[in-house]
Amino acid sequence: MFGYVFKRSLQSLVAVAGLLVLVFFLSRLTGDPAYLYLPLDSTEAQRQAFNELHGFDDPLYIQFGRYLADLLHFDFGTALSRNRPAMEVALEAFPETLKLAAIAMTLSLVLAIVVGALAATKPGGIFDRLATTISLAGASAPDFWVAIVAILFFSVSLGLLPTSGTGTPLHWIMPIGVLMLRPFGLLTQVVRGSMMGVLTSPYIKTAQAKGVRRTKIVFVHALRNALLPVITVAGDLAASLINGAVVVETIFGWPGIGKLMIDAIVRRDFALVQATVLITAIAIFFLNIVIDLVYAALDPRIRHQTA
Amino acid sequence: MSTLSLQTPDAEKRTASGPARIFRLLLRDPLATLAFAFLVVVVVCAVAGPFLIGDLIEKPNFRARNMPPFSLEQGFAYILGADTLGRSLLARLVVGARNTLGIATAAVLCSLVIGGTLGLIAGYSRGALGNLIMRATDIVMSFPSLLLALVVLFSLGPSVPNLVLVLAITRIPIYLRTTRAEVLEVRERMFVNAAVALGASHSRLIFRHIAPMVIPTLLTIGAIDFATVVLAESSLSFLGLGIQSPQFTWGSMVATGRGYLANAWWVAFWPGLMILLTTLSLNILSNWWRTYSDPQQRWRLELARRHRK
Amino acid sequence: MRIKPVCLAGGMVLALAASLSAAGAEEITIVLPEQPANLEPCRSIRADIGRVINMNITETLTIIEPETAQVTPHLAESWEQVDDKTWRFKLREGVSFQDGAPFNAEAVVKSINRLMNPKLTCDSRSKFGDVTLTPKAVDEGTVEIVSDIPIPIMPTLMGTVQIVSPNMPFDQEVNKPVGTGPYELEAADNEHIVLVRRDDYWGEAPEVTKATYRWRSESAIRAAMVESGETDLTPAIAVQDATNPETDFAYLNSETTRMRIDAQIAPLDDIRVREALNLAIDWDGMGEALFGTDVLRASQMVVPGVLGHNPDIKPWPYDPERAKALIEEARADGVPVDTEITIIGRNGFFPNASESLEAMQALWQEIGLNVTIREMEAADWVRYLDKPFPEGRGPTLFQQQHDNNTGDAGFTVPVMYTSEGQYSTIADKDLDQVITKAMSSTGEEREKLFQEAFRVVHDEIIADVPMYHMIGYVRVGPRLDWTPDLKTNSEIRLAEIKFKQ
Repeated sequence: MFGYVFKRSLQSLVAVAGLLVLVFFLSRLTGDPAYLYLPLDSTEAQRQAFNELHGFDDPLYIQFGRYLADLLHFDFGTALSRNRPAMEVALEAFPETLKLAAIAMTLSLVLAIVVGALAATKPGGIFDRLATTISLAGASAPDFWVAIVAILFFSVSLGLLPTSGTGTPLHWIMPIGVLMLRPFGLLTQVVRGSMMGVLTSPYIKTAQAKGVRRTKIVFVHALRNALLPVITVAGDLAASLINGAVVVETIFGWPGIGKLMIDAIVRRDFALVQATVLITAIAIFFLNIVIDLVYAALDPRIRHQTA
Repeated sequence: MSTLSLQTPDAEKRTASGPARIFRLLLRDPLATLAFAFLVVVVVCAVAGPFLIGDLIEKPNFRARNMPPFSLEQGFAYILGADTLGRSLLARLVVGARNTLGIATAAVLCSLVIGGTLGLIAGYSRGALGNLIMRATDIVMSFPSLLLALVVLFSLGPSVPNLVLVLAITRIPIYLRTTRAEVLEVRERMFVNAAVALGASHSRLIFRHIAPMVIPTLLTIGAIDFATVVLAESSLSFLGLGIQSPQFTWGSMVATGRGYLANAWWVAFWPGLMILLTTLSLNILSNWWRTYSDPQQRWRLELARRHRK
Repeated sequence: MRIKPVCLAGGMVLALAASLSAAGAEEITIVLPEQPANLEPCRSIRADIGRVINMNITETLTIIEPETAQVTPHLAESWEQVDDKTWRFKLREGVSFQDGAPFNAEAVVKSINRLMNPKLTCDSRSKFGDVTLTPKAVDEGTVEIVSDIPIPIMPTLMGTVQIVSPNMPFDQEVNKPVGTGPYELEAADNEHIVLVRRDDYWGEAPEVTKATYRWRSESAIRAAMVESGETDLTPAIAVQDATNPETDFAYLNSETTRMRIDAQIAPLDDIRVREALNLAIDWDGMGEALFGTDVLRASQMVVPGVLGHNPDIKPWPYDPERAKALIEEARADGVPVDTEITIIGRNGFFPNASESLEAMQALWQEIGLNVTIREMEAADWVRYLDKPFPEGRGPTLFQQQHDNNTGDAGFTVPVMYTSEGQYSTIADKDLDQVITKAMSSTGEEREKLFQEAFRVVHDEIIADVPMYHMIGYVRVGPRLDWTPDLKTNSEIRLAEIKFKQ
């Protein structure tokens, strides 16, 4: 087990390094930052001075060498647009997104398992049809649409919730609700499909024949086996939430890392792009290791090869 | 679709399956029939729409700008209202189907096929290759899609295939990881072990035993991904990658309507509804297919028939 | 026990409601369209930064009144031109910075040198081009500024230089501006910025004691926040959200839009085609539909009031028949009018920007031209903005928005219309002479020459398709007594905000 985690971590470390190299070189293919940093009416000499000052006129490999040398001192560079150390800015925003993503993901998972499993027990029934329609409608509706309409309805028309921002528990309701739509919809469908497969398998029939209670069959015996694909999809969704609950962050003014990363990319704030990608990548890689461990825990047959 | 060898040998023995039979079974399920009919309409729009509708979709008509729906004042074309430039939303929905379906289908299929294949390899092969694929996937998952889009835009230039490329790459990980997880699980099941013991070849194992278990899950994800891809496409077109106005998709119509949610809800609502209904129909059909293709489940469909008889 | 959760929830609602309205009588909250990237005063010509700090935290020697093209004294009481390269400013006495440092000639010298410091990336430097400034303290209250080339509008330019405390780091950009203004920075994080009134301000004490800034990008949400009472004021809402005449005010935001014509490349090198482009658009219909009823049709690239604006130029009317005839005429003379013309747009440039491109594209198609649209990401778009323009681009129509809030056409005309101009697609020797002469003159002569330049550009050369002087909208809560003006995009003076009784 520890051997496996160690090996995986090492592999992931190499992959993170590869990612950073990719991000470093590829982001510099996206145009001249001087045009975006300086006002449009700046002179050519001013742009050149800017590029010289920040070393953007050096060959890429020299810039990369400098970046590596700084990394060795845990210096992740300055976020030019913010006048602040890039890592400091990224680390400030990350927990805000993490909190939001963790809550939304947990709630979606729990809800999806209950709804999906119940729907699978009687495919084609009323509950199944209703659950499918509602969850799919949520998952395929544009999230910004839901977010804005929700604000107009709950905050402006009804005056029940604050429009946006952070602070009281009430501020969390709409962002989490909107963030849950896609994971809940997709997971409900995956749970349902996976459960339908499992519920018809021989060992469940055996349990039924033995007279085990139905709820116990569904939520204990079947679920354990149906969870594998669910965990995978959930992991992927969680990763995409970490990478950017961008719409929710933007509309609700949530100071998270998704919006920060987008702003950094749009502004060509390379140091900040690298710092935000590094943070989210570490989180995603870590998440994927955890998921593989969960597989092993859920399915003893897989264990022998991960161990 | 019927030619896909999804059925287990057991299923093949019991029923002679042809398109006509599948279709007859489909008609037994009203919801699936409805979904199928809707998709047919959408596809017809996509194929014939641009020929049916003239310059209604392009020429601005400032007098009808943001005209609310359900009014026949400007003729039937304006029954769903008009957008900011006073163009008929109904006409634009019909014409927009082509670009929307084209791009989304291409992107979803690409990511499904590439992701599925790589996932199969990663799950099936033990050791270095599998690890390499998985870590590469981790990298793709962690690479910001906006940055990817910009890189493609600046290095490969703007074009529809490049747009599809970006959309497909960003969605590959979910198919790849799902396939791998299912393969890991299926591979250890008893019937697979039995097949191996009986000396089944690798390709037979994959296509006869593993693929039928994996594909339904992939289709479920793919159907929902349709909506994601349509909406993502509009934000990338906005960067200058891919579809450019005056061409448009449902996604770009929704994006245009974003600023008008408080005042002219219909501009974003109808295209949003189309995306939603298409996704929903795809899902209902994929669920139906899952039931159909699973020999343990098909009795449900057969049962429906017997009841009616 | 059962009742408790309900009470708790109710309590929360009440607490929230209280916190919304509890912002004391003299405290206000403002919600901005974007988070200021940073708070460095030498970059404050950027709207996101300027809206928070200009005239609130830091102040300038002079104030530009764009409506009248006047320059009025502020931290400087008077000024005079010593010779054509030297200006002398007499400073106000009894002014101090928020950190206690006295405001004097040394501080002004240091502020100007800091702005010009090559180690800093100062956006505000762009207004000076490549000029070298040598400021010198003559005595405690007098500053002399020497430039290497004559600058007849130095007092105008000084209206963009924020004077900062000599204690601010000289070689480093910072997020803690210290100036002479009536407010000082109390807090700044990822969610809000707080300014509080200082007691020892040299001028009249403003009514607002504390201002909290937040930011939301969605216009509809910002409008809703004022409506629900969560916030008091928001600038830059979309025209379609400005639905309440009681709270929503329109203002000319000093931006002017145009489509620049690539006048060197066929078929756009033919003046009939250029005229047809101007005549083909339903200007009133499009303006009202996309930019609101208050939008002002433009005939030139500066707003009325700017020195050099020519009120006698008539904007092109909407005359599709004449446009079609012109195109046919050109076609008959062998002009390749069927060549594909590309509109180069920039995504998210201004509200409804891309709708306006779509509308114009359709209308230009109507008169028989072959027009396509390419909307680009900002860094891609700028490649077409500046010389040298991309090779092999074909004929283009380039979407541009230009902001001249300095009150002088000298910041517009040379760059756009001289042969050498960075953005210029035309080369006309006579026009060059007029413009060069205008740049070195002052007062009425300067005005006349710029007016002549605009006339030639519009009537004789037809270098562009001028669109509109753009309108911004603000929503102001019922508590406040405040109206926006030409400068609202780049600064919101808290001192001008009063409370209704």
